[in-house]
Amino acid sequence: MKKLTRRDFVKKSAIAGGAIASPYFFSSSIALAAAELEVGVLFSLTGGLSIIEKSLSDATLMAIAEINAKGGVLGKQIKPILEDGASDAKTYNEKANKLVIQDRVPTVFGSYTSASRKAVLPVFEKRKNLYFYPTYYEGFECSKNVVYTGAVPNQQLSNYIPWIIKNLNKKKFFIVGSNYIYPREMAKVCKILVEQAGAEWVADEYLELGHSEWGAMVKKIKDSGCDAVLSNVVGDSVVAFYREFGNQGLKHDKLPICATVTSEIEIAAMGAQYASGSFTSFPYFQAIDTDANQSFVERYRKFVNDPKAVTHHALESSYFQVFLWAQAVEKAGEATPAAIREAVKGQEFDAPNGHVKIEPENLHVWLTPRIAQWDSMGQGVIIDEYPAPIIPLPYVAYGETASNLFCKEGGLDTSKL
Amino acid sequence: MFETIFIGLSVGSILLLVALGLTITYGTMGVINMAHGELVMVGAYTAVMVRIHFDLNIFYAIPAAFLMAALIGLIIERLVVRNLYGRLLDTLLATWGVGILVQQAVRLEFGLTFFDVHIEGLGVGLQRVDVPDILRETIQVGDIVIQPYRTFIIFLTVALVVLTWVLLYRTPFGTQVRAIMRNPDIAAACGIDVKRVNALTFAYGSGLAGVAGVMISGFKTVSPSMGTPMVVDGFMVVVVGGVGSLLGSVVSAGFLGQLNGIFATLSNDILARAIVFGAVILIIAWRPSGLFNFRGR
Amino acid sequence: MSTKKKLEFLAYAIFIVITFMMPLFLDIFWLNRIAKYLVFGMLGVAISLSWGYAGILNLGQGLFFGAGAYMLAASLKLASPTSLQQGSDTPVPDFMLWNAEPGSLTDLCCITKVSFLWIPFQAQWFGIFMGLVLPVVLAFILGNIIFRQRISGVFVAIITLATVLLFRLLMIDFQPLTNGFNGLTDLGWFTLAGFEFDPYTVQTYYLVAASLAVVLVATRWLVSTRAGLVLQSIRDDANRTRYLGFDVSSYQIFFFCVSALIAGFAGMLYVIAAEFASPTFMDLTFSITMVVWAAVGGRSSLLGACIGAILINVIEATVSETELFVEAWQAIIGLLFVLVVLFLPRGLAGLANDITDRLLGGAKKSQQDAPSGE
Repeated sequence: MKKLTRRDFVKKSAIAGGAIASPYFFSSSIALAAAELEVGVLFSLTGGLSIIEKSLSDATLMAIAEINAKGGVLGKQIKPILEDGASDAKTYNEKANKLVIQDRVPTVFGSYTSASRKAVLPVFEKRKNLYFYPTYYEGFECSKNVVYTGAVPNQQLSNYIPWIIKNLNKKKFFIVGSNYIYPREMAKVCKILVEQAGAEWVADEYLELGHSEWGAMVKKIKDSGCDAVLSNVVGDSVVAFYREFGNQGLKHDKLPICATVTSEIEIAAMGAQYASGSFTSFPYFQAIDTDANQSFVERYRKFVNDPKAVTHHALESSYFQVFLWAQAVEKAGEATPAAIREAVKGQEFDAPNGHVKIEPENLHVWLTPRIAQWDSMGQGVIIDEYPAPIIPLPYVAYGETASNLFCKEGGLDTSKL
Repeated sequence: MFETIFIGLSVGSILLLVALGLTITYGTMGVINMAHGELVMVGAYTAVMVRIHFDLNIFYAIPAAFLMAALIGLIIERLVVRNLYGRLLDTLLATWGVGILVQQAVRLEFGLTFFDVHIEGLGVGLQRVDVPDILRETIQVGDIVIQPYRTFIIFLTVALVVLTWVLLYRTPFGTQVRAIMRNPDIAAACGIDVKRVNALTFAYGSGLAGVAGVMISGFKTVSPSMGTPMVVDGFMVVVVGGVGSLLGSVVSAGFLGQLNGIFATLSNDILARAIVFGAVILIIAWRPSGLFNFRGR
Repeated sequence: MSTKKKLEFLAYAIFIVITFMMPLFLDIFWLNRIAKYLVFGMLGVAISLSWGYAGILNLGQGLFFGAGAYMLAASLKLASPTSLQQGSDTPVPDFMLWNAEPGSLTDLCCITKVSFLWIPFQAQWFGIFMGLVLPVVLAFILGNIIFRQRISGVFVAIITLATVLLFRLLMIDFQPLTNGFNGLTDLGWFTLAGFEFDPYTVQTYYLVAASLAVVLVATRWLVSTRAGLVLQSIRDDANRTRYLGFDVSSYQIFFFCVSALIAGFAGMLYVIAAEFASPTFMDLTFSITMVVWAAVGGRSSLLGACIGAILINVIEATVSETELFVEAWQAIIGLLFVLVVLFLPRGLAGLANDITDRLLGGAKKSQQDAPSGE
């Protein structure tokens, strides 16, 4: 045998070492940067809000998986970096900072509550990053670093209030909500719309978030002489509210609860018989009877391995916003926040709820308002639907109209407020 | 007017239901059980599981929840509380940690989520407990609408208070408990098995929490974090009422409940809650040992 | 100085030096994170002073933390570009716009019924001043109610708990004044002597680290004074101290206020590092978690409680980033709490103490150590 010289040894071991190490080399993060595109996914996976936010996270991951199956974006696979906001604004702020500064992702998908969005907003504005926010909210925001894919008040209420007055023949509204910005702003819009339509509102009441003792409030509703309840109650208070409503003998056929937040999730939690006959206004309902939506629901149930899972509006927005994002990245040709933001303007997509489009001026989404009445099985029967999506107006409470936008590409026109 | 009072009574009865178990554990053993809220949650989840897996309504869930919560209480007592007797504030902390563990156990379905196994009725989602039909329909008596479910809770609470009173004052076991309350060392010297009695007392108090959970699940959402706010309310009732005093807890729950009910109807619930907090602060400031001072530990 | 004392001095010195050396090893994101944890360490010191030294279990420390935070945040909010661009003579916070009384002037004096309370906050020093003074005033009032009545033990815990929850409720409810649930976001940067403190710079980190060092040293000195010793005797047996002629409640109130001052200061630093103030600072869970940090670190050791707070938060951050444990980290923390309380009642500091005792005892078998005051 030939003597093993040092050179031979070094050469052979280098080759051997390279061979052994090569799988590691290809899976190391240096190589990853070329083959994968990282994005942030920031929702509450623990804590009180995880009940809803986990489904938003799952929908986002499902969209990413579907896009990856078709080849990803710009030839790369999308790698989601999942972070837990823990239902706490402080934690949201910290994780947002981590995703933007440490992980340097070009976009983060996240948030359900306005509190968490407000807590992370400075991060995206100061560091010039991009946030895709999928939840319906109160409007009054015009950040150039956020793409808002949930409904704004005009997409939930501008159709709703006139419809209640005309079709249900109601004249006296009792407005009730949870005590924070979203219900309060929604109440403002409600009051304007109610007065515009010639009806009146008799009360505007609030209960703490999470509060579940509704005895006194329902009694107030009874005593007020109203004929419709406009509910902006959020979270698990909803369940206690509807139950107490039913327990005190109130019926939806005489005194309906017309909600803006009660979705399939809350209905499942309260028991369908308590909500049967009440109404909710959303652009999306699980019961939308199109092939696209039914396939979406099935795919979602398979993805989360729960044949009874329900889909709801914020979940659907979490899903389609990723596709809008991916299209923007492809159009921009690069994955930087500024380029994506420019490219996302005007992006259109056929979402499960219908056709959606990102309004270039204010980075909100054109959505189709719908009204559903809940049946005894916990599903919404859609009884009113606009023929086409309508423009988002985040400042509608202050007089914004389609021809007089307050939030434009150049920024917010404060003189109009 | 009647309805306002009824609401106050109802709120008070729910407070008392939660606080009753605390009164026992704190009053008799001086143990601050911050996991009490989680035991209420366990009771609620027992009702959920009973409905889903056995298709039985809440009447069956009541004894099941009592046993389930009592069992967990026993485990907590054995493993944690027993080692901390005398260290009041440490039991507070340790049981807080236990509470977190119990919450996570439910959330993570006892760890099975990691193996992609799902037990229906557990997990992070909201769960539902149905109220039996006989209790759902309101009864009309003249001008007044009576809510059967809330009325049932009031009667159940009264029954449990009476049961507890009988247990404490009319049984040999109760005499032992009260002896230990006065002076555990002399009680031990008299031949009472202090450890065993304490364990059973803790279990009983925990069981009561479980029953409270079943009743509450009828009109509140069942979720893993539903218990935490209740331990605050429970403690305020117990401390305001006076440590270890059954009568004190009843009076304080009734008072705080009515206070809440009246202000909630007159103005709004937020103010009502703030007033309740304020009242607690004032009462403890005025009578530091609570309304009914029991010469206990 | 006895060996124990020397070791203690060394421990403090090493800790402070390490905190100052962090910028050498960490990127700016982690530095900001550690800055926030140093603030929590300061909270640990406050709890340790109140609980470990004074025997007062304050389950509502979040109240003082939140009070300090909101005061400075108010000033910083008025300094933010958005507030300055509302087209009026005075800066107007954005949330007041949508809370505005119909038809009111867009000016800080009159836009809502209570907005005039914000006027003095236009001067940053006022925010700092109130951030230190308000917690102390609150503590003074609360302390007088509690300690003059000789309330102790669990009753103190319940009162402080009820108080923090009450204030949290009020903060959330007074939306026109405090922006309620969302808290104060979109703040300007803190400025000192013309220098702006961007939270993601080394300078902000040093600001926090230096403040912590000052607080640590000052508090340690405070507890070694005669007042501090009296406090410890109150903790061990209040009645006996009373019989010895000391005005127990005055000492308790004083140290309760000092603890509140530290917590308020911590609140202000947190706002500087995190850029927002929120009612969640006054959550019950947060207040109790602070106590648990101190318990793990060692309630009777200022440095121990400080390190305990920092350590737990670092572990929490690291654990929750590993995907596998994202859902399980809370259970781990809960278990850790229980184990520490059961088996390490004096916390990590107690453990360190025992270890040094053993080492010293072995090395100096024949020498007698002078009793040290830890």
